Amino acid sequence: MKIIVPVKRVIDYNVKPRVKPDGSGVDLANVKMSMNPFDEIAVEEALRLREKGVATEVIAVSIGPDKAQETLRTALAMGADRAILVVAEDVEPLAVAKILAKVMDEEQPGLVILGKQAIDDDSNQTGQMLAALTGRPQGTFANTVNVSGDEVHVAREVDGGLQTVALKMPAIITTDLRLNEPRYASLPNIMKAKSKPLAQKTPADYGVDVSPRLKTLKVVEPPVRSAGIKVADVDALVAKLKEIGVAA
Amino acid sequence: MNFELAEEHRMLKDLVRKFVDTQLVPLESEVLARDTAGKGSYLTKDEQAKVDAVSKDLGLWGLDAPEEVGGMNLPMVAMVGVGEELGRTATPYTLPPDSPNLRMMMAAADEKQREHYLAPYVRGETISAIGISEPGAGADPQLMKTTAVQDGDDWIINGRKIWITKADEADFTILMAVTDKNANGRNGMSAFLVDRDTPGFNVLRKIPMIDGTATYEIALDDCRVPGWKLLGTRGQGFLPMQVRLGTRRIEMASWSIGMAQRALDMMVEYAPQRVTFGKPLSSRQTVQNWIADAATRIHAMRLMTYDCAWKIDEGRDTRQEISMIKSYCTEAAYDIVDHAMQMFGGMGMTREMPLYLLSNKLRTMRIYDGPSEIHNWVVARDLLGTRE
Repeated sequence: MKIIVPVKRVIDYNVKPRVKPDGSGVDLANVKMSMNPFDEIAVEEALRLREKGVATEVIAVSIGPDKAQETLRTALAMGADRAILVVAEDVEPLAVAKILAKVMDEEQPGLVILGKQAIDDDSNQTGQMLAALTGRPQGTFANTVNVSGDEVHVAREVDGGLQTVALKMPAIITTDLRLNEPRYASLPNIMKAKSKPLAQKTPADYGVDVSPRLKTLKVVEPPVRSAGIKVADVDALVAKLKEIGVAA
Repeated sequence: MNFELAEEHRMLKDLVRKFVDTQLVPLESEVLARDTAGKGSYLTKDEQAKVDAVSKDLGLWGLDAPEEVGGMNLPMVAMVGVGEELGRTATPYTLPPDSPNLRMMMAAADEKQREHYLAPYVRGETISAIGISEPGAGADPQLMKTTAVQDGDDWIINGRKIWITKADEADFTILMAVTDKNANGRNGMSAFLVDRDTPGFNVLRKIPMIDGTATYEIALDDCRVPGWKLLGTRGQGFLPMQVRLGTRRIEMASWSIGMAQRALDMMVEYAPQRVTFGKPLSSRQTVQNWIADAATRIHAMRLMTYDCAWKIDEGRDTRQEISMIKSYCTEAAYDIVDHAMQMFGGMGMTREMPLYLLSNKLRTMRIYDGPSEIHNWVVARDLLGTRE
């Protein structure tokens, strides 16, 4: 069984994003970029399934700029077997899902494991759209994943606990934070990754129109929180809370 | 011209960064507390074992060792990135085996020495030290008084050595001694591999240093060393020693970049937060100048250090460049850390922040492996033709 793991190149989670002065987006010039952390979890889960003998091949796919090769190389260094880069700038979740659907047609995977969302735009759409487009079952916000026979059981993180769903494979899974702790690519594996295959494609190869359907009107910094005040004792605290209408 | 690191070297640098952030930075408060209590800044045996296990598992041992002895054979440009990341923490740690002695042995060891000393060293099974300086003979090797005299197949070594790191725990010490008194200076010097338990190899005293480390003074009293443990060619010990020193100096330049970067990161984070007289420090021109100056000098340090590393990988003569980066990078990083301490005000004076330890480390780095003045003199004498 093959597993496809889509990975996205995003602004590194340690970087404090700054909005461009014209409000058109986040300034990415000379900013450290890394693999989306939820996608790292997806790669890790796929590798574990391969190590358990459930899967035979892990294919990392990225849809993004040329530089997304670096992200794919990281996935290969973690242990993915091969990679596919579909070169396209500024693609929206629907376009990504359409391309992934075509990749699924071509590769016939048993599972597609995606991050639940990318930490840059926090869309949380691609996995669900991919499931809708392909008519395959989806287990989103995965906390644990178990494959048995032609089914995969996914414990989902929902409000107030876990909900376990059984999906007929091929299925779509999106990862939540607690699914696993991704490994680091060790140096020997970094070296091996150099010679693993990385195929380059374009959206046209899949016949997908990636022109944007959304328009960004304005991007602004979050409002600065005003400083709090110190109160002398509990009475003063209660009085203050009443004053601002939080307590009756 | 391409200034990009190779992809795998960038990934290695990222890996070491993660290793430093997850394994070494969390130990800093322990290290600072121990140092403050006068117990030194070293990792405990347990901490060392734990961190070593992680670095070994990540394949980070023997990075620049040759492949035939189990190393990764990485070029110097890759090692600069590694040193840079290790420099970002005040927690003292080097990835085994320590490069300088490794490079010296690679340059001089014969078949038997490779098997008995180099191979276990690369596997991280042994610890080494180097004995060059003597009381009264530091940067000027002509003053070296320790002698080795042939006696049958053996050598008998007599003399004193000082400022030797790890002399107490090292399985073997590479010891420099004069073997041909009549040859002038550098041509009469040989290197010996001296095991710790060799009779006549006596550790005299431990000398505490201001960065929480220690060095040792040793005495060689009729210390008998078998002939095959002469490292390299008799009387030609100076050149491999220079290889060793060059490796350490480029490593020190790389650490300096990381240390300066840490100080800059701390300044950039703190300046907008701290408000004085109604305005954040980041709005003050002096603070802005410190930050711009730090960023500019770090950029310069990086460029010159990578340039030097690249030239070493190309097999070029880099004596000038080594001296330039050793002096420039340690001095610049010291200034940058000093500005960070100044900006942090009262907190900058504490032993709770890593800045004081970075500062003390850099203070020693401006001296050991050739003080800045000696390196500046090397650069100037080549330009002026004033070599004596």
